[in-house]
Amino acid sequence: MNKALQIALGIVTSVGGFLEIGSITTAAQAGAAFGYQLVWSIVLGTLCIAFLVEMSGRFSACSRHTIPDAMRERFGAVAFSIPLIVMLAVSLLVLGAEMGGVAAALELATSVKLPIWAVPVAVVSWGLLWKMTFSTIENGVSGLGLVTLVFAVGAVKAKPDYSSLLDGVLPTMPHSSPAHYWFVAVSVLGASVSPYLYYFYSSGAIEEKWDTSYLAMNRAVAAIGMSFGGLLSVAVLVLAAVLLHPTGQDIKDYHDLTKLVTPVLGRPGFWLLVASLGIACLGATLEISLSLAYLVAQGFGWKWGEDLEPSDDARFSLTYTLLIIAAGLFVLFGVDPLALTQISMALTAASLPVGVLPFLILMNDKHYLGEHTNGHIGNAVVLLISLMAMILAVVSVPLELIGGGG
Amino acid sequence: MIRLIAEVLDKQVVDANGDNAGRVDGMILEVRDGAPPRVVAIEVSPITFLARFSRRLAMWYAKRDARLGHGRGTPYRIPWESIQRSKLSVVIDRAADDTPINALEDWLRANIVDRLPGSGS
Repeated sequence: MNKALQIALGIVTSVGGFLEIGSITTAAQAGAAFGYQLVWSIVLGTLCIAFLVEMSGRFSACSRHTIPDAMRERFGAVAFSIPLIVMLAVSLLVLGAEMGGVAAALELATSVKLPIWAVPVAVVSWGLLWKMTFSTIENGVSGLGLVTLVFAVGAVKAKPDYSSLLDGVLPTMPHSSPAHYWFVAVSVLGASVSPYLYYFYSSGAIEEKWDTSYLAMNRAVAAIGMSFGGLLSVAVLVLAAVLLHPTGQDIKDYHDLTKLVTPVLGRPGFWLLVASLGIACLGATLEISLSLAYLVAQGFGWKWGEDLEPSDDARFSLTYTLLIIAAGLFVLFGVDPLALTQISMALTAASLPVGVLPFLILMNDKHYLGEHTNGHIGNAVVLLISLMAMILAVVSVPLELIGGGG
Repeated sequence: MIRLIAEVLDKQVVDANGDNAGRVDGMILEVRDGAPPRVVAIEVSPITFLARFSRRLAMWYAKRDARLGHGRGTPYRIPWESIQRSKLSVVIDRAADDTPINALEDWLRANIVDRLPGSGS
């Protein structure tokens, strides 16, 4: 495949796979509660994940190691177990939220209650992972994920006030309800900078046998793909800012998500929104399950690979099977996907440095990267944003809980 | 010169067929009178892995593992002469399927994975 086509495909994959329950609901909540004021949190989060994704692709292309593989080797079993456990715990909640998102889309489409969908969603997700290859999953789901472009169409049709939108790019202090403002900012950051995404990317680079000739493509895909992905999040925020903010409406549960597109695009808008939610969350379900199975298998040195038959990597395949069952229980017991999303996004933000700091150490290690180690800018951007996310989370989450969302 | 902790411990183990076969969970050094210590073997075993967190946990696991048959209940060792080191991994001279390294993998394959539809067995 020639490079231009590969770049195009990479960008399509990034854009189609960018939105999921976390980015959709946090951006919608930000727009509903604070208009355009929190656009900066999407910008910062997107900047951080673009850098992280570029780094993880570069890391695997140069070192032929995945991130968990190198972490275990470089830091040893005991130190490696900390990010392993934290990531598994937090991402399991995120996985529950994504599966809830698929179930929510199915409920919106059929009026059949959400918990009924737990088993079908789990079985279909598991079946796709069990039978499909890595590139089929990545390209298939992300291709379908382009339906999320409906948010961009909706946002333009909603005729936003572009100058206020641009004002929101720069961080400002809250005009009202400061605790809630910072809490929503933290959720947006947690939703944008999902650790599973760059772990997934590093394993993908190994599955697709990247070498240093992929570095330029990797950089282009990370920069362009993530920027367009971030714009989709901004589009969701814009829709909420235009349609919900002026009348003081909020996104309280997943039924409220239909208020986002339907008013500008009518009945087709409703169906496109439902499809967007379902496909985006299904894509994330597959990526998170795979990503965590990679994490465990690589950390313990098991045989792994989405292109192998399950019989050839039994522990790897059973790891994602168990994760899907465990996360499916949240849906089965009727846990509200939006509540689960909020908790898991805040926890993601709070725990960002746990995964990011050891990764940055690796990215500056000549043993792995030779002449391709990180520059100062990359180090500074990722370090500052992830530390900021953690500090904001530690401060704002208790305040939000005390204030009851006031 | 080898830097044992940096270059051997926790490295990926690859078997004679080129398949991943766990990680170097521990190393065994022989202390000799009048001569420097010598590395005699690496260990690839959950018992060794757990012992790095807690001896008690490792002993608890070893007791249960011992019930699974002859040669179990102690960490699996591979003599230093039987390994080769490469940049990415430690290559052993045997197939993981013939060792306890893949015991759990084999059990899960036979008892769960291959009984599910479409496992490719």
